Amino acid sequence: MAQLGSFALLLALACSAYCVVAGIIGIVSRRFFAVPLAETARRAGIVVFALVFLAAMILVVAAFENDFSIAYILHHSNRDLPAPYKFATLWSGQEGSLLFWALLLSAYGMVLRLRYKTDVRLFAYASVVVAAVQVFFLLLLTFAARPFAVTQGNTPADGNGLNPLLQYPEMVIHPPMLYLGYVGFTVPFAFALGALAMRDRGEQWIRITRRWTMVTWGFLTCGIFLGAHWAYSVLGWGGYWGWDPVENASLMPWLTGTAFLHSVMMQEKRGMLKMWNIWLVFATFWLAILGTFLTRSGIVSSVHAFAQSSIGDWFAWFLAITLLVFIFFFFKNKSQLRSEHKLESMVSRESSFLFNNLLFVLLCFTVLWGTWFPKISELVQGNKVTVGAPFYNRVAIPVALLLLILTAVGPLLAWRKTSIESLRRNFMWPAIGAIGVAVFLMITPQSWGSPFGLRPAQDISYFYSLTAVSLSVLVTLSVVSEFYRGGRVISKHTGQNIFASMVQLVHRNTRRYGGYIVHFGVVVVIIGFAGAAFNQEKENEMGYGDKMTIGPYTLVCRSYTDDDAPNYASEWAVLDVYKGGRQIATMTPERRFYKASRQTSTMPDIRSTLDEDLYLVFEGLNPDNGHPILKAHLNALVMWIWVGVWIMLIGTVLALIPNASAPERVAARARFLPVHAEPVVTGD
Amino acid sequence: MIWLISCLTLTVACLFYVFHLPERLFPGSPNMRAGYLRERKDAVYENLRDLNFEYKAGKLPDIDYMSLKSSLQDEAATLLAEIARAENSSKRGSRNTRL
Repeated sequence: MAQLGSFALLLALACSAYCVVAGIIGIVSRRFFAVPLAETARRAGIVVFALVFLAAMILVVAAFENDFSIAYILHHSNRDLPAPYKFATLWSGQEGSLLFWALLLSAYGMVLRLRYKTDVRLFAYASVVVAAVQVFFLLLLTFAARPFAVTQGNTPADGNGLNPLLQYPEMVIHPPMLYLGYVGFTVPFAFALGALAMRDRGEQWIRITRRWTMVTWGFLTCGIFLGAHWAYSVLGWGGYWGWDPVENASLMPWLTGTAFLHSVMMQEKRGMLKMWNIWLVFATFWLAILGTFLTRSGIVSSVHAFAQSSIGDWFAWFLAITLLVFIFFFFKNKSQLRSEHKLESMVSRESSFLFNNLLFVLLCFTVLWGTWFPKISELVQGNKVTVGAPFYNRVAIPVALLLLILTAVGPLLAWRKTSIESLRRNFMWPAIGAIGVAVFLMITPQSWGSPFGLRPAQDISYFYSLTAVSLSVLVTLSVVSEFYRGGRVISKHTGQNIFASMVQLVHRNTRRYGGYIVHFGVVVVIIGFAGAAFNQEKENEMGYGDKMTIGPYTLVCRSYTDDDAPNYASEWAVLDVYKGGRQIATMTPERRFYKASRQTSTMPDIRSTLDEDLYLVFEGLNPDNGHPILKAHLNALVMWIWVGVWIMLIGTVLALIPNASAPERVAARARFLPVHAEPVVTGD
Repeated sequence: MIWLISCLTLTVACLFYVFHLPERLFPGSPNMRAGYLRERKDAVYENLRDLNFEYKAGKLPDIDYMSLKSSLQDEAATLLAEIARAENSSKRGSRNTRL
């Protein structure tokens, strides 16, 4: 089995290399054989998927069959590992996750090559770029990080087991989501580089990659928040985001990708920011590779960096080569990327996108700097200076608030220019609503719980929370007003009620209104983040019957006990939870000892409501008296974050649905449109 | 031995798929310049539709609407003229080639 897996990877490497070489000759040559050669290159690219898929399946089957003669299976699985985690073995270690990367890339590449009829030439260029990236990963898998390497000496009876931190249901889906995001950005990059290389002035590459980018962005968003939820549910420190280098690695391409999703509209609508967009899409791809490099090179220390090895050099070279290739084509063909229009006014949709982009890039640069600073300081000064959450928060919070303002204002601005009269007309009611909510939150008593009774002068975190909640209201009202105004126009024309009209409105421009729903999801997430200002925590040693109070909750220790399962032994505390004198729940925070890996792991117990999460961690027994030590966190509004992510994903899916076609009469008249006539369409 | 046969079969299957081409291959589309201009024209028409809709939704005062509409219409006119020129020159080019 291992030999067949290795051979499949070797053959895939040969096919990818052929796809690159034959693809380039097919593009460049004008001889009779160019077209058939390009076709064989396309087919070789498709074959790569079948071969890498075969290799991945062999590894999965080996995990299920407990084939410890394969070193990777020995190090990342064991006999008693539950079935879903055996499947997750594929991406749980260095070699397997690289194989998974290659698999996803080959799958994306296959879809790309099957849809080549859209624009044969551009797809041929993009196919070569994807194949070149594939060559790199297959070289790694064949020579540096071999998933089918054979165990040295006698084959042990059982494996070392999966890292305990990874033995959590979300870990079965978090890495695939994140990887689908990381890998997916290769496709827009391939089209961008292809369009640049073929000196294509048009926006065809943007039209082709629009959906790819949104799907990829959706996966990355989902992956990042699943990671945050995993950190919250497993790591036991009570938070969901710690500005850890590996978390940052996933955030950076997300930030540039989000900037690209916005700025690309300027190129589509106005033919502006062509150079900027091509750099953004390159930066997103490059940062995704950098993220993979950070996770596996061991260059930065992180709780998430599960794999460490010497493949960092390979990645460093790959990053350098891609940068050089991109710079070469950029300077060779940048004359094709001149903007067709200039910014006409600072108060326009264009300028709001421009500021939005600058803020995203500023935030990305801050995260990049903070992530690399410990390494840079070590190289320069000889000692590692740690960069903690306060550094990031100092920039991220104000930038996020400014982005919220732009999210509220942007949709209300017209393309090209907006007069003050227009701004006043569109912005007055949302602004009055936001100010009203801010005043209400300030005058309400603190006893009402979070987020009421916010006194901004009391603490800077309260000031940020109040601003975030008020701006969130502003965004929500501006989104609602967009739906209402649009719905009213359709309602006037069709006679439908306003809600049916709004549904029709969304159907007519799914991208725009799906985008507004994503904005609303972001607002809900931001309200969840704003809740952090109200968090509390307490730690106590608790014997039988001992009590601990945190916020409105009283915890009473009923007992503590232990158990033995095939995969792990566990001990936990049993606590009764009272609120307002009434018992509302029994909670059991747990601590596990995994037998195969001989590592311990905490399993916090979390009681979530829309207001707050009661988060309990069993920290073990006091060795002197045998009493359990309990840590309790009261985290405000955390559930809003997870709800907000769902809304963002629903908005993304909606934006991916094709627009409903315009009514027939409109299409017929549009065909005969004279130059100075206005297209008669009631939707945009 | 089995794995050797499997590897051989795999190689043959891959080579067959890659090099066994159908008789007629899908051709690409020429005239990039006209295609690019048509893309721009579609974008300008879409911008006009957007503008119209936003005006009807009450987001724009009359004066803004008229000025934006007139500049977009000028842009569309320029593009249509350029498309006509590009198509004429490509027709002339193909006629010369035939002669």
